[in-house]
Amino acid sequence: MRAAPVALLLLAAACSAPRQTPVHLTATLVSPTDITLRWEGREPDAAGHVLEFATEPQGPYTILGFLPPEQSTYTHPDLIPRTPFYYRLRPYYGQASAPVDVALGAGPHAKPEPGWSAPRTIPGGPKGARPVRSEGAAPSDLRAIVTQADGVAFRWTDRTSDEEGFLLEDRPSGRPDFRVVAALDPDVNAFGLVTLPEESRASYRVRAFRYGQPSNVAHQTTGGS
Amino acid sequence: MRLVTTGALAIGLLVPALPAAADPVESGPWTSYEPTFTVQERGCGDVNDLTFKLSCSTGSGDQRAERRYATYSSGTRQFEGYFKITSLEGTRISLKQTFKTTGPFFMLAVERGGRLYSVHGGDTIATGATIGTTVRVNTVHVVGSTHRTYINGSLKHTVSSENGSFYDKFGAYRTGSGKGPATVEWSGIQFWRK
Repeated sequence: MRAAPVALLLLAAACSAPRQTPVHLTATLVSPTDITLRWEGREPDAAGHVLEFATEPQGPYTILGFLPPEQSTYTHPDLIPRTPFYYRLRPYYGQASAPVDVALGAGPHAKPEPGWSAPRTIPGGPKGARPVRSEGAAPSDLRAIVTQADGVAFRWTDRTSDEEGFLLEDRPSGRPDFRVVAALDPDVNAFGLVTLPEESRASYRVRAFRYGQPSNVAHQTTGGS
Repeated sequence: MRLVTTGALAIGLLVPALPAAADPVESGPWTSYEPTFTVQERGCGDVNDLTFKLSCSTGSGDQRAERRYATYSSGTRQFEGYFKITSLEGTRISLKQTFKTTGPFFMLAVERGGRLYSVHGGDTIATGATIGTTVRVNTVHVVGSTHRTYINGSLKHTVSSENGSFYDKFGAYRTGSGKGPATVEWSGIQFWRK
């Protein structure tokens, strides 16, 4: 009898098979050149979603935005007429560092090192070894130095080994939520931001992240002249 | 949408595999073509394939790292490309130009470390850009009629166009009020005409 081994194999195959995509995305043409995306379902521990578009089903896909986990609709406006649009949504995971508050001023400011704004890896720090979705994997020791009237240099400690990148997030004074302002490569631990006027006072944090399974691809073709 | 391919794409079958060619946008039929170009490096500008770098913060003089494509003077032309600003300490760096041989016509520039996009004359057409992400640009130029610019699929700028001779440029170029340093990576460059 081989029934038991076969059953075990089937069970193992079921466990290793990709799980069903939990988020279902729909696209609606709300005017000849405006498409509204809506999605249902939510990964409970996702930090947010990245919404992407392409004009061919196989891509290349371009990021429209990093969206907070509670958001479930997005309108892509004023689109290229008579063109197919394809969309997909990907959750991303990871823990954010403790925030730091930054108030810009007239100075004087410390003279920044050359290339202060470039994303880079400053050697000598501890090599991160934790998986992104594990306890204690958030970047630590986030430091912010005002380099000019509209510039802030950041450094942090990378504690993860498998990140697909880092997200710098900010919350200008008076705004309720953080938003992604920069997407950085894996292993980066320093970056400088040139600020917008609304960021004269803001909180910042950094997040190591990994993408999850993409949603279904939703499609519409625009009309118009 | 109908695409007419030219011999240049057939020749492409003989060269190493490249990313799949994208279809043009808007109504066709479009014909894919590959205009010739020259590389322009001036001042502290440096071009390495599709990476364009201004290494200085000089706020004067000609600081340029660009590709200048062949001149056209009739029909409708479409440009598609993807740029990623990997570093920008300064501001007001031109990324893409549709240049009239008699003077500037259209210029897409980036400000504030890559967070704002503006056009010739200083009008802001997009704000709050996420640094480090790739941005898609499509321009459709109907010579003698109009020039449209789409950023990430959305129409962001329209300007009327006179007749004349024009050419495409892209890369990194210090505008009159701008300064580097800046590093910009372009990819997925394609041209069509009808």
